[in-house]
Amino acid sequence: MNDTPLIRISNLQKYYGDKLVLKGLDLDIYPGQVIGYIGPNGAGKSTTVKILTGLIPDFKGEVIVDGINMAQDPQGIKKLIGYVPENAEIYDVLSPMEYLDFIGKLYGMEEHLLHDRAKKLLTAFGLGDNINNRMDTFSKGMKQKVLLISGIIHNPKIIVLDEPLSGLDANAVIMIKELIVRLKAEGKTVFYCSHMMDVVEKVSDRILLIDKGKIIADGTFESLKQDHSDTLEGIFAKLTGREGSGTEADAIINAFD
Amino acid sequence: MNKLLLRLARMFDPILIKAGVNTDQLHHILAVKLTMDDRRPRTLFAKKKTATSNSGNPILTILFSMLMGLVLAMILFYGEGPLSSHTFFFSIFIILLCFTIVTDFTSVLIDTRDQFIILPRPVDDRTIAVSRIAHITVYVIKWAFVLGLPAIVLAGVADKSFLSPFVMLIEVLQATFISVLIVNLVYLAMMRTMDPQRFKDLINYFQIAFSTLIFATYYLLPRLVDLKALAKINLLEHTWAYFLPSVWISAFNYVFIHPGQLTLPVIILALMALVVPMVGIWFVIKVLAPGFNQKLMALSTSDGNTSAPRSIKTYDKQDLRDKIGKMVAPDPVENAGFSISWKLAARSRDFKLKAYPSFAFVPILFLYMALSGGKGQSLDDKLTNIQSGSAYFSLLYLSSIILTSMLTNIAMSEKFKAAWIYYAVPVDKPGRILSGMFKAVLTLYYLPFYMITAIGVAVVWGPATINDAILAFFICLIYGVLVALFGVKGLPFSKPVVVKQSGGKVIASMATLILVGILGVGHYFLSKWELAIWIVIVPIAAIAWIMIVQYKKTSWMDLESLDESEAIEKPKKIKKPTKQTI
Repeated sequence: MNDTPLIRISNLQKYYGDKLVLKGLDLDIYPGQVIGYIGPNGAGKSTTVKILTGLIPDFKGEVIVDGINMAQDPQGIKKLIGYVPENAEIYDVLSPMEYLDFIGKLYGMEEHLLHDRAKKLLTAFGLGDNINNRMDTFSKGMKQKVLLISGIIHNPKIIVLDEPLSGLDANAVIMIKELIVRLKAEGKTVFYCSHMMDVVEKVSDRILLIDKGKIIADGTFESLKQDHSDTLEGIFAKLTGREGSGTEADAIINAFD
Repeated sequence: MNKLLLRLARMFDPILIKAGVNTDQLHHILAVKLTMDDRRPRTLFAKKKTATSNSGNPILTILFSMLMGLVLAMILFYGEGPLSSHTFFFSIFIILLCFTIVTDFTSVLIDTRDQFIILPRPVDDRTIAVSRIAHITVYVIKWAFVLGLPAIVLAGVADKSFLSPFVMLIEVLQATFISVLIVNLVYLAMMRTMDPQRFKDLINYFQIAFSTLIFATYYLLPRLVDLKALAKINLLEHTWAYFLPSVWISAFNYVFIHPGQLTLPVIILALMALVVPMVGIWFVIKVLAPGFNQKLMALSTSDGNTSAPRSIKTYDKQDLRDKIGKMVAPDPVENAGFSISWKLAARSRDFKLKAYPSFAFVPILFLYMALSGGKGQSLDDKLTNIQSGSAYFSLLYLSSIILTSMLTNIAMSEKFKAAWIYYAVPVDKPGRILSGMFKAVLTLYYLPFYMITAIGVAVVWGPATINDAILAFFICLIYGVLVALFGVKGLPFSKPVVVKQSGGKVIASMATLILVGILGVGHYFLSKWELAIWIVIVPIAAIAWIMIVQYKKTSWMDLESLDESEAIEKPKKIKKPTKQTI
């Protein structure tokens, strides 16, 4: 592990109008880490991700990725990052090959390398027979795989995955988990956002828990376990103040009376 | 065709590079967008395709556009003052183009999908904004060329010059650029000053107003304005004329066709035609485009939970419409149909865009019909004539246009997939939902309009018209049920938006129109006997009521058989990935 952080976020603040959504985030992420980024709905999770991927340019504070300042050269940072967004928008009248060709060229990849890699990746993801079929006939899982590939096609240093397992079957989930481990071994940094605690628990080296615009827990799963609870689900519930889920369930059942 | 245009677009590369655009990325984006347009999914963009040469039936659309262009080209032979013929032509031409861009390409211009696909890649704001503008321009050029072709040919005849067609070709291009520019400037400026939600609403009302305006101009302008005086106008005497883009283009033409009679103002105007599109595009790219995507980002997230500040509307109060619903549709399922119909109708921009102009069509068409004929009479004479005659019949019956347009659009939605819920709930007869829908359209949209119309008629034509208004209402009601039975394609907001109508439907709606026409004509003949009208109201009202009751009994079987005439997949069928080769 390296000493200089690959991603350095300091005092990151983001307002939506008068509402402060991120309340001064400080974060150092080192190369080769798999970060599990969790938090309740509306905690500021996707805002952080959108700032990190250069989608929201107006923020306060500093974001530095691999020595590049986001405020000065967002395009430079975007080149380093592969992003798989949560709401799976895709141009589904294209074939996977055409789509990847398009995405790769936006990264300025050379065509020969791009096509070769796209073909290999598609085959490896089990889409070898569908390379030239239009994606509007694809299942949700197949589209998700294409999205995943489009996030790694340019061999980025950092991979940001936002709920990447949605719509995938059990086999594919196992494959993705394995993939994350392998990417880490290759020295990639993975930023993994999800609500699926069991997966985050297994794949992450370091877990970040955000609530109400602040990071309230930061550490390995083991260290968090000692302080709080046995499962990540338990830790999550305890720290985000939803421990009384039993009483909530009671209230729900009582509503029928 | 696309390849050719892409290559043409490459010509602008040097300027674009100077403006800070990554041209390689731009061309990849443009190429992909054009490929996608050629393969539009069956339904989603059907609306958009109709106006472009790339539509489902391209030859028919091209022919139609050419025909329109031919009519338009006739303007070139009209106008006696200097510059006037070309000014008139391009005024209409630019308005038409702007209209097309606003109605058909707003979705392209503010496509939020790009936020997630292109923006995370190393592409800057400028390149994306320019790619959008270029994308639209490619389409508009195609259409402008088809529309302008007759004029390009005929310009040679009109100006008695061989040079003219070539100049005209350049003029058409200038008009295209100016149109794209106007719409972009307005949109970008609006986005800068407004929050996203209001922007969307405003665009929506703008579109509604614009399509109404076009309709009104087309029907009423020739009847209200003295065209002979307009033809003699000397544009150069009016200061406002110097600001009209169509005058610039016209001056550009003048420079080439009448090089002997040049004056300084004309030369300056002609230069404007050349310079303004360039400067304008530069201004859009340099000044307005950066930050455009940021605004768009807000547009795409404003529907989600992380919204920009705006007063969040709460919908917890019972309003008058809910109370009316309880009165006219007491059955719970029917009431559900009632509520969902008006709520979605009142909030869905797409529906409003299609259905609301019909409220304006009624008075416009009425005036058109009433002012036609009576040649040589002044406008005042004509208006007096209207009042003394029985023109109010046409006004009352024209109101049925509202029923038609509401009912034919209410089953369609871009979010039709949400309609799976109808198939998941235990509803024995969809007719209960349908009759709720019908009653919502009737009581919340049609009835208020009709009452105002009827009161207006009673004021202008006298209280003797009251019985006529009541009878006409019930006849329109019968018509409405028939439209609902044969014209409506399904449950409220449950079908994808399609433009084509299957043959059987057309025949059914023709038959409906004829039937109502017969009833209306019968009404007209009967109107001499006041008492007879009052008596006839009773059976007609009874028939209307029975039909509504029957409509409520529509079963799933009936609905299915209605569906069969169309080749649209039903939402309840699960799409399976099928292999498909390209």
